[in-house]
Amino acid sequence: MIAPDWFRGDRLPHIYCTGCGNGTIINCTLAAVEEMGWKRDETVFVSGIGCSSRAPGYILTDSLHTTHGRALAFATGVKMARPEFNVVVFTGDGDLAAIGGNHFIHACRRNVDMTVVCMNNHIYGMTGGQGSPTTPPGAISSTTPYGASEPAFDLAELAVAAGANYVARWTSYHVKELTKAITVGMQTPGLAFIEARTQCPTNYGRHNKLRTVPAMIEHLRSHAILVAKRDRLVAEGEPIPEGAFTVGELVRRNQPAMGVRR
Amino acid sequence: MKLVIDESRCKGCNLCVLVCPYGIFREGTELNSRGIVAPVLDRPERCTNCRLQALYGRMLCGVCHMICPDQAISWVEEKPFEPHRVEVEF
Repeated sequence: MIAPDWFRGDRLPHIYCTGCGNGTIINCTLAAVEEMGWKRDETVFVSGIGCSSRAPGYILTDSLHTTHGRALAFATGVKMARPEFNVVVFTGDGDLAAIGGNHFIHACRRNVDMTVVCMNNHIYGMTGGQGSPTTPPGAISSTTPYGASEPAFDLAELAVAAGANYVARWTSYHVKELTKAITVGMQTPGLAFIEARTQCPTNYGRHNKLRTVPAMIEHLRSHAILVAKRDRLVAEGEPIPEGAFTVGELVRRNQPAMGVRR
Repeated sequence: MKLVIDESRCKGCNLCVLVCPYGIFREGTELNSRGIVAPVLDRPERCTNCRLQALYGRMLCGVCHMICPDQAISWVEEKPFEPHRVEVEF
């Protein structure tokens, strides 16, 4: 177990399904927190509603389990009231992109000093597999039985456009890189947004011919292309493979941030 | 150090089987008392962390430890330590 003094050992095993990637993301975040050397009294984990948002319940710190989509609004309040606190927000794609989309773009615009870890599993996992704004086109879910016909949200690019100071995207397969990205995000003043694509074998993979956990991980791994490779393909005029998404550090900049500890 | 799987936490997703570079984890065949097919360890003394963690004083590979969604994989101290011959295949 990574960071054993940060886990609530009595709450484990957690409620996530077999092979759910959210546990991996908790591991990576806690490894990053341990690397930062934060004190438990000065760290707050905030989450909304969803599978991913159960995560602070397994972590031995003060945490807020808030209303659906409003995790960032609550986290902004925590940071404004107590700027000395280190705020980490766990959120899912349905929580962040659908119902909390407006909070998300405004938190990025204000550049509030916190770390947002988005566990993007492409679906509303907890409520039975409805299509979310990040469901890829053609994917089958319980509300898109003939395949999703709408284009999907690219959350990392949205955060770049909205003005976040640090934006990265990795998958739950790239554990070391994800840990490093979360650590850099925690060190960066201003809003750090890390999108972690995870597998949801129960509600996403089961309907999309990715029934086993290794099949879902392999799908994530084979569809991830590095930012540098994407740029090279664009420069050479070659087509980007279909269904591929970029992974890596998308932006790191030093714009004025809000709520930075003096 | 000794590699152990905590069977009270493991849910049998076999992600460790996928990521281990030494192929130490093998898919299990028997149900345990919780009704879960947990992976079995094939010569765990080949694991780089088991052999060299004490020498380097830090976590070495540790990908299985990191990717395990159920926090079930860990290393425990072996006592008393018995040196034994280890064959590593490359």
